[in-house]
Amino acid sequence: MASQYVAELCMLLVEDNFGELFGRIFSTLHRYERLTLQRLVGFTRISESRLRAALVAMIQHHLVYHYTPLEEGVTYYSANVHAAYYLARSGKILELVEDRLGRYAATVMSTIMYLGHAQVSHLEALPRLQPGPEMNGAHGEQEVREKHENGVNGMNGDHIPSQSTLHLTLKDLAAHGYILRVREAHFQSSADNILDIERHIRLGESVQNMKGKKLEEFVLEKRADMLKERLDGDLTRGLIINGVPRGVKRRRVNGTSDDLDNKRARFDYDNAGISGDGEENGWWDDDIPMESSLTIRVNYDKLDVALRNRRFLDLAEREAPRETSQVYDHLLRRIEYQTTKCRDSTEIPREGEEGEQYSVSIPLSALTQDIDPYVDLVGSLGPMDTSPNKRLGKRHFDDTVNGDDDGGGGGGDDNDDGTDRSDGNRAYAVDQHLSLLAQPPFNLTSKRLNRGLVTWTIEFRHLARKLRHLELERIVEARYGDVALRVIRVLQAKGKLDEKRLQEVSLLPFKDLRQVLASMQTGGFVDLQEVPRDAQRQPSRTIFLWFYDPDRIRDNILQDTYKSMSRCLQRLRFERGRLKEFLEKTERSDVKGNEELYLSEGELERLREWRAKESLLLGEVARLDDMVAVMRDY
Amino acid sequence: MASAGTSGGSVTELASRLYDACISQFSHDHLFYQQDLLGLEILPSNDLPLLLQCTQSLVDQKLFRLLQGKNDRLAWKIIPREDAEKLQNLSPDESLVYNVIHSMGRSGIWVRAIGGRTNLHKSILDRCLKSLEGKNYIKSVHNVKFPSRKMYMLAGLAPSEEVTGGAWFTDGVLDENFINVVSGFIEFSVSKKSWYEVPASDRSRNKRLKTADGSVTVKKESGQKEYLPYPAGYKGYPTVAALTAAINQSGITPVRLEEENVTQLLEMLCYDNKLVSLNGEAYKSVKNPAEVKARQARKPGEDPSVVDDQLVRNGMTEVPCGQCPVFNLCVPGGAVSPENCEYFETWIHEKGPLSF
Repeated sequence: MASQYVAELCMLLVEDNFGELFGRIFSTLHRYERLTLQRLVGFTRISESRLRAALVAMIQHHLVYHYTPLEEGVTYYSANVHAAYYLARSGKILELVEDRLGRYAATVMSTIMYLGHAQVSHLEALPRLQPGPEMNGAHGEQEVREKHENGVNGMNGDHIPSQSTLHLTLKDLAAHGYILRVREAHFQSSADNILDIERHIRLGESVQNMKGKKLEEFVLEKRADMLKERLDGDLTRGLIINGVPRGVKRRRVNGTSDDLDNKRARFDYDNAGISGDGEENGWWDDDIPMESSLTIRVNYDKLDVALRNRRFLDLAEREAPRETSQVYDHLLRRIEYQTTKCRDSTEIPREGEEGEQYSVSIPLSALTQDIDPYVDLVGSLGPMDTSPNKRLGKRHFDDTVNGDDDGGGGGGDDNDDGTDRSDGNRAYAVDQHLSLLAQPPFNLTSKRLNRGLVTWTIEFRHLARKLRHLELERIVEARYGDVALRVIRVLQAKGKLDEKRLQEVSLLPFKDLRQVLASMQTGGFVDLQEVPRDAQRQPSRTIFLWFYDPDRIRDNILQDTYKSMSRCLQRLRFERGRLKEFLEKTERSDVKGNEELYLSEGELERLREWRAKESLLLGEVARLDDMVAVMRDY
Repeated sequence: MASAGTSGGSVTELASRLYDACISQFSHDHLFYQQDLLGLEILPSNDLPLLLQCTQSLVDQKLFRLLQGKNDRLAWKIIPREDAEKLQNLSPDESLVYNVIHSMGRSGIWVRAIGGRTNLHKSILDRCLKSLEGKNYIKSVHNVKFPSRKMYMLAGLAPSEEVTGGAWFTDGVLDENFINVVSGFIEFSVSKKSWYEVPASDRSRNKRLKTADGSVTVKKESGQKEYLPYPAGYKGYPTVAALTAAINQSGITPVRLEEENVTQLLEMLCYDNKLVSLNGEAYKSVKNPAEVKARQARKPGEDPSVVDDQLVRNGMTEVPCGQCPVFNLCVPGGAVSPENCEYFETWIHEKGPLSF
């Protein structure tokens, strides 16, 4: 993480969001790593009192880690690059939350983000979170839902106290895992945490009579447990019922909510072995508010999972019919609820050294319940039982359209048969859709048999790798054309190849092949390995092998992406500087909100232009962040 | 020697009887061992010296070719009489060269390798090759693997795939147009078989369907055909054999393509992201026939921005930095900087108004 461009980017993000003072402190801390307050004063040349105030605020925003070793009693500060980077992702996160939980939830989320972390009681007191009359329009839909929920439960009448809306939303967020409890250890860097824990363990009673290797193993094992315990801010406990956050089930407005109890019973049966907290059904009570002393923050790990799932869904949507991707969406939702982070290791493992990591498996029956009963699942797939003979007979390999129509008509009859069958057997149809996704070219799902129950799961690492390759391939295609893409894919599938073999597989003329290889080598996408056949290393007696190393390229591209992001932000700042005076005018408190009133036609046009520019550049940063997420976080 | 001298006539006679028997009883490709020849019962049994004399006389007449069989045993092959006549007219050097070239069969032999085997001087070798070529006994061939090497093979043979590079080469050069035509045909054929075309009567019915979240199912305008994928486990996807047969029937290829050629092309299409292989036997296309047709109808020179069979764009391909030739030099405040970047300037002007 500690490259030049990340530093540059993070500093820009901090500066854009919090101003120059924070930016200066952040970049100093990043450059010099750990610093005490005194040294920080020396390097930044900011007065101690201002520095103290700023540091407190930065700690509040998790931009700075602090750590006070017991024996020294001096506090060290260091920059939290990760948190700073997530500033770039905040827009995307809010959009996701709004999409899932409504406008009001997004407002709550953005408030929590804005505050870094916040106590529930503090949120209660904030005026912008009070659903006042002017807010009603903004989240009317949300409120309707809440009303409905309460109506179903028969606990409240039509009147909803405003506090309860906040608490319900917070609980929704908590149940989805989007927020977590702030723990002491969140303020220290992971290295500090680990050292601290190790010290603890070594001083503990149980290790006194252990030595050498045994001791190390014990420490390592214990360390992981304690780290998990210290950092654990999970709020979903008790809010997830049988693998689904509370409230989610009842979103379905029509028809399904009346047999809730019935369904719940069935769920218990389905995955009793998977999430055995059926006894916590008591949490259906919406009346119990969140503890007001609770301090919460955004759970970026979980949100990455959600965003990653959205990318998987995009993959499905590109190729599969709409209904199939809807089914997939439901599967992904279910999986998201039970996945806390994208991967176990901190770094993305090297290509080929990566083990597979399966998601939790979701029973088919649960999925069938989730899916909208009005989605046409059978009609959205072709018929299975067209006899191949008939097809072969009718559809010759010619281009005439007539032949097609005949074949299609023949298939139509079979389709009708399928519809009859589907009435009683929706699970079969869902299974068919998921099976389609399990096949190439998708490979998006995989089927498991779990004690006789059909369950579906996702191969996370495989798909994350697929996303990464896709991003790299897109770049290759854009820069070097589709011929290059073919070459890259051949090299990736076959490993190292010499020119002749490469030509045989890729079926490209030597001239084109050499051209494209040379230009890609200049760009650093492919490289040559020399294998001399004798000790003299003469070129004529040397085998040259082309290869493509996705890990190396990923690293390079990642750095380039950081750089591009910061270039976009820098350009934005420059553009802003150009229009400085005009923009200052538009931001005057009397003009803001009344632009039509105070600005001339030309000025309005300029403002519109500026907004377009700004949204273009910021949008591009978000697009680049998508790539960073794929290459670093997923 | 004495016996050879006395029975000279009978040896030739025996030899020619032996040759006739070989011709009539075995295919011309048969490899004869000592036992085979003795087994013909023309020679008195177990008279090995006589057998040796007979075969030697046949070899001298170029009617037999001496070979080394398994376990270093001597073996012979028959040469048809007309070929033998040809060979008899050759000078010893020429016949040496001819035999070496013959021994390599369809794969041809490099001139330097001939020199190495025959130990002939280069000028003599050149003369031999020239005269053999002039008599139309051998021909020079172009090898794709070693384009710079001069190779020879017998005139009557067709070069093997290794030499020509397979069906995709014409005169030793990869025939791009041919490949494009055939691959286009394959893609379209596979595509037609891997998508189910919704019959027109069903289409109108689907339109009315609504989902519970209130969104009406969006359907394409009725003029367009609608395609659905087949469910998993569908058996109708075309196989290599079926595709090969279809290609050879279609008449787009002047030469007959073998399954391995087609497999090669199919693999290439897989790498192009156009097809996917299902368990290595059947193939399924990624795009439906309408899309395939649309792309194939497009001229290569047309604006690539309308192409949506490209992988979807990403951040790096959109931002000017992704294509910037001086990206590595770009530093804030430097000679190349985000402030004075002309690519940004044009990009913002092009895209700015669109991005609302």
